[in-house]
Amino acid sequence: MASPTMHGTVPRKDNLVIVIDDDEIMRLSCEQILIKSGYKVETFGNGHDGIKRIREARPPLLVVDIKMPELDGFEVINLVRQIDPDLVIVVITGYATIETAVDAMKAGAYDFLPKPFTPSELRLIIDRGYERWRLTKEAQRLRREKEEVEHKFVTLVTHQLKAPLVAVKQYLDVLLYSFRDQLPEKGAEWVARSQVRLGEMLTIIQDWLALARIDRGALCDSSVTTEIASLVTEILHDQQPPPGSKDVTIEARVEPNLPCVFGDSVSIGLVVSNLVSNAIKYNRPGGKVWVELSSAAGCVVLKVRDTGIGIPEDSLPRLFEEFYRVRSQETQDIPGTGLGLVICKRVITELGGSIEVQSKAGEGTTFEVRLPIAEKKTVSEARQLHESTPGERK
Amino acid sequence: MSDPKKVLIIDDDPDFVNAVEALLQSSGYEVSAAVNGKEGLHLAKTQQPDLILLDVMMTERTEGFFTLQELRRTPGLTNTPVIVISSIYAEQPIFRVSPEAGWLPANLFLPKPVDPGRLLEEARRLMETAPAATGGRRDQ
Repeated sequence: MASPTMHGTVPRKDNLVIVIDDDEIMRLSCEQILIKSGYKVETFGNGHDGIKRIREARPPLLVVDIKMPELDGFEVINLVRQIDPDLVIVVITGYATIETAVDAMKAGAYDFLPKPFTPSELRLIIDRGYERWRLTKEAQRLRREKEEVEHKFVTLVTHQLKAPLVAVKQYLDVLLYSFRDQLPEKGAEWVARSQVRLGEMLTIIQDWLALARIDRGALCDSSVTTEIASLVTEILHDQQPPPGSKDVTIEARVEPNLPCVFGDSVSIGLVVSNLVSNAIKYNRPGGKVWVELSSAAGCVVLKVRDTGIGIPEDSLPRLFEEFYRVRSQETQDIPGTGLGLVICKRVITELGGSIEVQSKAGEGTTFEVRLPIAEKKTVSEARQLHESTPGERK
Repeated sequence: MSDPKKVLIIDDDPDFVNAVEALLQSSGYEVSAAVNGKEGLHLAKTQQPDLILLDVMMTERTEGFFTLQELRRTPGLTNTPVIVISSIYAEQPIFRVSPEAGWLPANLFLPKPVDPGRLLEEARRLMETAPAATGGRRDQ
């Protein structure tokens, strides 16, 4: 858009300027000057009427005098900021002291104009204010569009990217299960490798989708409670050994009668299964994993400890960064997306908990998660809640 | 001696249907398939399958849910075992619904892509422990 020239007209939509001044001469001259520049102008002799009109018309610009009977300029500014924080306010003031100007700007005015002023001074300030308003609106529109696109992209990925991968993996799974004897040896080997690589890709997509859901606020629900003891028991029971895992035994120790914690079982389940699967993946052959649940100071504490390769000290601070993976001889063959711990951290933060890690390279790693206890929820109440939650999740 | 057990697949992805059909056929099941909920309901009514495999997100995001509820309202199909197979369970490993939950009366949920061994094992188990399904067929 061409920038408005000093005497050119600005034939636009949304070009209403409200002028509030108790001095009729000021009102008339402002109106005349601004109409010539292409603005629509409505003038009001007092704050109340002007504010009422602003509430109805949502104009981009307000010119307001500071010294008025009844409502003064500062009061008007305070009230209209509550109606529309994007309204661009220009203050005109008869006593052009630095103090009043500063006060006006502090109260939320965009600019000020000392009386007396020339027509071109008023035009310049109003044009600049209008441009500011236009840019604000443009930025808001772009932000909304960006959010919309992101949301659509997530849906697109779910369906358009995942569905073909799922179909291909399904073919390979059945091929190897039902028709293995018809495949040449090389064929069977390559199909098996393809399954693993496809599985890696599906995991990346799933992790990425989980993060997108957390961002949109569509995953973590801290208004419900979960019976974490039975959730953990169930996950340990169902946990499939990750591909290439090395005969690791899991030992669980669950304190009896643990209370429920805040959060939905889906997102808490993501945390538990990610930590346990890491403890298996980064273990050594024949290693052990201990999963412990206990209560302490208003929290349920989940500890996942392993006898694995450990995390070098300089990698610890970066552990919860997106796509960060510890690079070493030992980890290079372990599949992973670098998103699992990011998901854990995000979920736990959303649910008001905390996660800490202790590790010694070559000895093992312990993750300690604390989730706030949901008071006064009995197990049966929680179970009801728990069963009614999955319907809302998508 | 006895007729082969019949499995109906309701899923809009022809490749998924192809793969699972081959798996089930190679294990001796008779398989039919429908690409949407409406066609699936029609086939279920006319063929009285012993087991139904159902996708959730077909043309409509929740088509499978409504199809399942409709199946459960249809005489002769109220007790037919249904396995819901969907990739949404792969994203959310513990998307758990008890079978009694009225809003989604499936017998089992499995993630997609489905593990062939697990599917065959569960299919066998569900068809063995569903007396009402064979009872429904005797009514004909």
